[in-house]
Amino acid sequence: MADRPQPQRAQDKLAFLLSLVPYLMDHDRVSVTEVAEHFGVPAEQIRDAVRLIGVSGIPGETAMYQHGDLFDIAWDDFEDNDQIVLTNMVAIDDSPRFSAREAAALIAGLQYLSALPEHSDRTAIATLMSKLSRGASAVPSPVAVEASESDETLALARESVERGVQLEFDYLNSRGESEHRLVDPLRVESVDADWYLRGWCHLREAVRTFRLDRISSPRITEKPIAHGATDVTLPDTLFEGSADDLTVTIDIAAGAVALLADYIPEGAERTDVGDRVRTSIRVSHYHGLKRLMAGMSGVATVVAPPEARAVVAEWAAAGAARYSSRP
Amino acid sequence: MASSSQRIPVEERLFSLVLALLATDAGLTKTEILSTVQGYRQKYSASGDNSNLERQFERDKDDIRELGVPLETIEAPGQSGNNQNLRYRIPRGAYQLPSDVRFSPEETTLLNLAAMVWREGSLSGQSRRAIMKLRSLGVTTTEPVLGYAPRVRVREAAFEPLSDALERHLQVRFSYLKPGEEAPRVRTVNPLALVQHQGRWHLYADEPESGTTRTFLLRRIVSPVETTTRSFVAPELDPSAEALAGLEAVWEERLAVVEVEPGSDAATRLGKRRGTRSVDDNSLELHYTDENILADELAAFGPEVLVLSPPSLRDAVRSRLDRTAADHG
Repeated sequence: MADRPQPQRAQDKLAFLLSLVPYLMDHDRVSVTEVAEHFGVPAEQIRDAVRLIGVSGIPGETAMYQHGDLFDIAWDDFEDNDQIVLTNMVAIDDSPRFSAREAAALIAGLQYLSALPEHSDRTAIATLMSKLSRGASAVPSPVAVEASESDETLALARESVERGVQLEFDYLNSRGESEHRLVDPLRVESVDADWYLRGWCHLREAVRTFRLDRISSPRITEKPIAHGATDVTLPDTLFEGSADDLTVTIDIAAGAVALLADYIPEGAERTDVGDRVRTSIRVSHYHGLKRLMAGMSGVATVVAPPEARAVVAEWAAAGAARYSSRP
Repeated sequence: MASSSQRIPVEERLFSLVLALLATDAGLTKTEILSTVQGYRQKYSASGDNSNLERQFERDKDDIRELGVPLETIEAPGQSGNNQNLRYRIPRGAYQLPSDVRFSPEETTLLNLAAMVWREGSLSGQSRRAIMKLRSLGVTTTEPVLGYAPRVRVREAAFEPLSDALERHLQVRFSYLKPGEEAPRVRTVNPLALVQHQGRWHLYADEPESGTTRTFLLRRIVSPVETTTRSFVAPELDPSAEALAGLEAVWEERLAVVEVEPGSDAATRLGKRRGTRSVDDNSLELHYTDENILADELAAFGPEVLVLSPPSLRDAVRSRLDRTAADHG
């Protein structure tokens, strides 16, 4: 997933400077390009930071920031050859500790990943967590995530992505139809407790997202994938929009809008109707919509078009009828 | 002096402050800092009023501490209470990563993946920063993890203020809508942990008014979270494991039996849910933590599911379906 470039705040720039200095101390001579690659930042950001480090230091005994109290770099090498060589160092000896919240974020992330097939070595994860705790400047914040469930389908999906071979399986769509699919697996993704496989579907001849819990009888083939991650664009959002999508107007409780964030197209109009918000969502067909709406009873209602309302009403009524026809 | 007119960038001032405080063992007084450290000294007036600069220094201290830099305050002996004689420093041992905390390429790869789990909110910023510090150690990863994007979401607006209050041990107030109750009730609690269980964020907190420890579902917090100035003593041991275990115990204990249409979406997906057991050909036994949430999930399956027990769940699903049909009729 592409990292969105974020505007850097002074605090982030400070964290970067404190991280960069020890790295440079460990490397007698290193090119700007190499450092930029290692930290995953633009080369110009490295140059800016080095220029600042090169003139920074401590007030020193004279309180005048004299030469020996400052960092120094081989300026000619830097300006002419884009090479970084620290020639004088002050104050800093080693990398900074993690903050309590930084350590907590990584620990909680590890907890989530800990049950996945490739992390069967639980002691390795526990060791890593305790290292993070010891490497933090205060006790990590109490934030925890339940380990994600893993099953055979997930393991096979992961393996097929890694090996670059096609995966075939039976897939039950939201219309309730089961179809045999042959897929070029591109990426395994999750959102909280739900797992998805994204890939090129040979049946639909398009990129599709499959819920792993709708997949039955998965089997890894020996056929190499026909479409790689570089041949197709995987949209950042999990649900790829298509020109055939249907737009539906809904009223939804203001506090629940976030629950449907994935379905609300960018720039969709939102108006207040009493304590509800009227907006629109995009769905690929009404079979998905009826399930979505029946799961948000009393919270969201379809306003238009009438066909969509009818499909939802029929679905819910059929469900309710099962309770009247049997004791 | 030429430098007095030139603007010193904020990061240069912060960086210079950290360097100055790391280099001192005895600590520096505020006056020493403001009059000598780069970024302050240019604005310092030896005879006049420095209150703006002092406020600047207070904010800078907060920014620096937020990064995990242990900026200490030392009182001069026998001078307690005298603000002007406080000394500031950053002890090197508490600042630096301990020398035995180093990470192998495999560990670094795993930590990169753990950081990727967070894509939004403050946890994403925190983990990005942690990775930056990790890169400072110069370890290169074994392989970039392509084709894999595990993610945990933080969509609830209450999360940020709660994690902030959690960190600062401050009491919070919010309106909480318990299912089955007509109106939300204002709750005042001491936040102990934030945990995600079955894909939902929960707050584990002490409620002084009732003298109990409770679990709140973040999505049922219906007002903005108000952070008070009242602090509390946090427990010594991390209560998050206890919070998760509590939720797990409830999940273990609660059982629903449902009949599913063979071959349907409900049969496939509910059958694959964690802990599900087949009772007979068409019936499944499901574990759950929250009846109302399960009722929403089961109602979504429409006629594919018929709840057999417990009766309260059966009623909840039935009334949801009735309501949806009526709202769309």
